[in-house]
Formats: sequence, structure tokens, C-alpha cells
Amino acid sequence: MNRWSLADLSPQALRLLALLAVLVLVILFFGTQIERYYSARMFNRVSTSVAIMALIATGQALVVLTRNIDLSVGSIVGFTAYAVGGVVTRYPDLNPMFAIGAAVLAGAGFGAFNGLFVAYARIPAIIVTLGTLALFRTFLVEYSDAKSIITADLPEWILALPRTNLFSIGNLDIRLTFAVAVVVVVAVHLAVTRLRIGRKFYAVGSNPEAAVVAGINSRRIIFLAFVACGALSGLAGFMFLSRFGNITVVAGLGFELKSVAAVVVGGINIFGGSGTVIGAMIGAVLVGLLDASLVRLPYMSEFWREAILGFLILAAVAIDSVLMRRLFSWRQSRKERLQAQAPFESDGRGG
Amino acid sequence: MKIASKLCVSVLLSAGLATGAAADAVMAKKGMEADMVLLPKFLGILVFDQANTGAQEAHAELENPGELLFVGPTPENSVAGQIEIVTTAATQSRDAVMISNNSGDQIVPAAQAAKDAGAKVVTWDSPIPSGEAEDVFVAQVDFASIGEVMAEMAHSILDGEGQMAVLSATPDAANQNAWIAAMQTALEAEKYAGVELVDIVYGDDQSEKSYDRALALVDKYPDLGVIMAPTTVGIQAAAKAMQDEGLCDEVAVSGLGLPSEMLSYTLNGCAEEFALWSFVDLGYLTYYTAYLMATGQISGEIGESFVAGRMGEYTIEKDPTRENGNRVLMGPFTVYNMDNIEAAAAE
Repeated sequence: MNRWSLADLSPQALRLLALLAVLVLVILFFGTQIERYYSARMFNRVSTSVAIMALIATGQALVVLTRNIDLSVGSIVGFTAYAVGGVVTRYPDLNPMFAIGAAVLAGAGFGAFNGLFVAYARIPAIIVTLGTLALFRTFLVEYSDAKSIITADLPEWILALPRTNLFSIGNLDIRLTFAVAVVVVVAVHLAVTRLRIGRKFYAVGSNPEAAVVAGINSRRIIFLAFVACGALSGLAGFMFLSRFGNITVVAGLGFELKSVAAVVVGGINIFGGSGTVIGAMIGAVLVGLLDASLVRLPYMSEFWREAILGFLILAAVAIDSVLMRRLFSWRQSRKERLQAQAPFESDGRGG
Repeated sequence: MKIASKLCVSVLLSAGLATGAAADAVMAKKGMEADMVLLPKFLGILVFDQANTGAQEAHAELENPGELLFVGPTPENSVAGQIEIVTTAATQSRDAVMISNNSGDQIVPAAQAAKDAGAKVVTWDSPIPSGEAEDVFVAQVDFASIGEVMAEMAHSILDGEGQMAVLSATPDAANQNAWIAAMQTALEAEKYAGVELVDIVYGDDQSEKSYDRALALVDKYPDLGVIMAPTTVGIQAAAKAMQDEGLCDEVAVSGLGLPSEMLSYTLNGCAEEFALWSFVDLGYLTYYTAYLMATGQISGEIGESFVAGRMGEYTIEKDPTRENGNRVLMGPFTVYNMDNIEAAAAE
């Protein structure tokens, strides 16, 4: 029983493997369709644009793990990008760490607002955040007074950020923003899987009643999930500001859809309790990659792209769920078979 | 410079025509009451705020005891929001609705309801494509001339030979579509034979989408020489994308932009040349047109002339860029480059 087999892997690990396989297939497919696809340029394009979405997807993952959803992330990104942009325009000598801290805090504040209503007023998250999606956007419209943040008014260090290279491997740039995003995602992943409080996110999502019986303060956990999601969206808002510079009231529009797509494609169960933050990151990479690749397909019309993106997301989820179900039933029958062959062993794993 | 002088000629020509036809231009009677609504495509973009500034200026100048409301939908709700606001204006029996239409012909039933309720429907910036349910369109500049200016800018940036791609706003923006069509017509001329239009993409007037689309264009067409963005959001996003990726030497950005927003890109060579008109003036002229119609001082017939305060005389004419519909043509156009952008941005 000591030989290694796919069936011995945890469902989480299998999901990640399947996701990576899909990623490779997608890359191989587009490689045959698009000239100069395997280029440093393409890598840089995808990595820099994924940096922002990976942060949002990580926040979204935390919320979805607790069996909730946050549809207001796009509006939070837009608001923090605009507000911090306004502040640094007025005070260009402000310490960069302070500007970043302000973005994170502002985002956390919005998240706390969501969290209060979901966790303590017990209103379904989809309703609360659908409301705040519009509410936060309207705050932005009012706050902006119909003015835009203009790139030319921003301090040089913000404009230099998206161009800053941490290091290069040949022509492959590892840009600072991408590296920061990866570090944050890994840190959150470790926190959720290794820390006691992190495990509670899974407990609350997989079985709320049992979590309460086990003495977990599920309201507090749900509240925290929304605060963390807001904070990460705030950080993403700051990155958005540095990358795009020109911030209008439409900033971050539609990010809720992409973040949910990244999370679901990344193998996080929409009903909570299972999946990994790393998965959400890979999901964000996959969605970003599809987006960037479809735009570059020579025969793809502008109008079909969104539809194809939506279809591919559906397909990814459907295939994932079908394969997982097959795998589970196959593993179940294998286990039964093994047990029949070796009645004295308690499970298929053995020594 | 060549473009600028050519523009001056066409502007002078149209001004000459206007004065010739208008022996008895209507002078606005002040102080008549009319409740007005100014409706932008959506809230939160600088140019629409500038249009509101101009309309408020005219509102004060004409001593209208009625109300001037500046209301617009939020960006994610632009089409449905516009329809709703026009419908509301109809039920509240406003005397004039001034629309920068972002809803194509979908706005027609609501606009018709407003008309039936006694309101004058004046479009500005972007018209109702079919011209239905619209009294008159206040056009910023002649749509055909926008197409010519864009073709000319591309031609001069490319030195007569090379590839161009268009980065537009939304696929159903009536004004951008009309300008692009006008540019395509202009490109058929012998002079522009060397300028090849390779693609038209849409950034939906979102910075992030426009930025990504601009980069995709560069990757897709390695020989691309110029990105033409007839939208103030798109042109900035494209310029920043080229700047961030160090591509300004290879791909120029041009189109329609606000001098204050484009200053740094023009000075550092990422967007050497672009064009625009004054949105303050557009709001001002739109208000005058709507006020005169709502108070019955003009009826909106072709050939009618009126004086729009500080901007002078205008004549209502058949809109040559649409099958149906009348227009008031504002103009002129300014082409911005190194020589004049600093002064314009400081305004």
C-alpha cells in the first residue's frame, strides 16, 4: 500500500493540480494561435495586470470561505484609488507608507461596514454587498465632485511604482507590484492554513451550526473576513492608482465579477468551507491570462470576447466539478475494493 | 501647424455661411421661466462638469427664474439611468431636457414621452442616431471635420506611411462611432493611401480597460505607429500605457484629449499632438439653444438664427452627418501640441 497514487492526494491538492493543468493547456492553446505568445512581453503584461486582481481575489476568497460573497470590491477599489489619489495630489510629500496605510485602512473601513450588516444584522451578504456596490460607488461620485485624478498631478514615486523592477530573469521582469501581491497572497494563505483563527474561516463556512457548537464566534469570523477583504481591496485600490494614474468614477467597475470568477475557477467552493487562497491566486492568473490572450487573438471580435470569457469560466467550473465528483466516486469504489481485499486494514492509505 | 491653418479656413467658411444666412437673428429675451435639465452621459468625468459650468453661466446670464438641474446616472448604469432620468423629466413636466446621449436609439421612447409632455429635447455632445424625438442637436464640431482632423494627425505623425489603430469609448457611443466613420471616409482620400487602419477596439471609457486594450494593440500589431483615441479617457490611458512600457518612441498616441490632462504626455513626447473643443462653450451654447426653444423664442426650424450671448450667432441647419435631425454647429477645434499646450493647460 505504499505506492504513491493520485488518489492519495487531498481534494485541495488535486484541485490545484487540475487548475495548473488547465493553465498549461490554455497557455499551450494560445501559443498555437497567437504570434510571439511565449514572450517576456506577454509575461510582463499578465503579471502586472494580475497583481491587482490577485489581491482582490484573495480578499474575496476569505469571504467566500465563510459562505458569503462581497460584490462591493470594485467600488471599494475605485473609492480608495480615488481618495488616496486625491490625498497624494494635495500632499505630494506624504510618506509612501502612510499613503498605502491610508488605502488599506479606508478599504478595511468599507469592509467593516459590510461586515456589520452581514455578521451582526444577519442580512444575506449578497443583498448587503449589492447595496454597498451601488452605495460606495455613489459616495465616490459625490466625493469626486465630477473631477478626475490626473496622472500629471501625482507624485513621481507613485508613477514610478508600476515600472519598478525587483529583478529580471532575462527579459522577464518581476515587477515590484507583482512581487508584493505574491507575498501578500502567500502570507494570507499561510495565515489561513496554519493559524488557529485561520482554520475557523473554514469551520464557519463548512458547517456554521457545528462551528457555533464548537465554541467559535462565527459572527466575529465573518466580520473579520469582510474587514480583510476590504483591506485587501484597499491595497488593490492603491496599486490601481499607481498603475492607471488617471482615476475617474468608473475605476474598478466590474471587478466584483472578475474576483468571483477567479475565486470559483480557483477551486473555492461557492458554498464555503473548502478551497485555498493560493487557488484563488491561480484562478486570478487564469482569468487574467484568458483576458489578455483573447484580446490578442487576431480573429476575435470585440463583442464576442466577454461571452467567450464567461463561457470558459463556466466550462472551467463545470469540468472541475464533474471531474471532482468522478474522482471522488472512483476513489470511494477503490477504497471499498481495497477494504474488501484487505479486511484488516482500516483504510486504503495503510502504513 | 498645417492642420491648424486648414481648420481655421473651414471654421471661417462656416462662420461666413452662418452670418450670411442670418439677417434677422433672434436676440434672447432674458428672465423668461423655463425648468431645464442637463443630462451628461454619466457623472464624474471632467468634461461633463465643464459643460455644466457653461450651462450655469448661461442660466445666470439669462436670469431664468426656473431651475437648472444637472443630473446624470452613475457610470455602471448609464443607459438605463439616462432613460429613467428623461422619463422622470417628462413626468415632472420640465420645459427642456438637454441630453448627451449614451443610449443610442433606446432613449427614443423616453425622449418622445418628454416631448409629448411639452418638453424640448435638445441633444448635445452625442445625438440620438435616428434623430427621432429630438428637436435639435448641438454639435461640438462638424463630425466630418473630426474625422478629417484625426486622419490628418495620423498622417502627419506617421509621416504619411504606417499603421493606425483606434481606441474608442463604448461600442454604442453615437458620437465616437460617427467620428470613426468620418475618419474612415476621410482615409479613402488619395492623400491618406499610406495610412492603414488596422483595428478598432473599445476601452469603455474605463482607464483600466483602455490601458489594457492599448497594450494589446501594441502586441498584436508590431508595426503599429499610432493609437488614435477619440475619447479623453482613452487617450490618457493609452499614453500612460506607452509611457509605462517605454514604447513612446515606437507608438504615438493621438486623438481627442483635455490639455490639462495631457500636458505631461505632450511634453515628454508620448502624445505629441491631439485635438479638442471647449466643453464649457458647448454647455453654454446648448443652454442658449434649449432656453430659446423652451420659451418659444425660436421654434427649431431649419434656417432660424439666434444670438448665443458671448459666443455670437448660430443657425439651425440640417445635420449632414445623420439621415434625419437638425443641428446647431459650434466649432472651432483646437489642435494641441508642444507650442500651445502649456498655455491651454493653465486655463
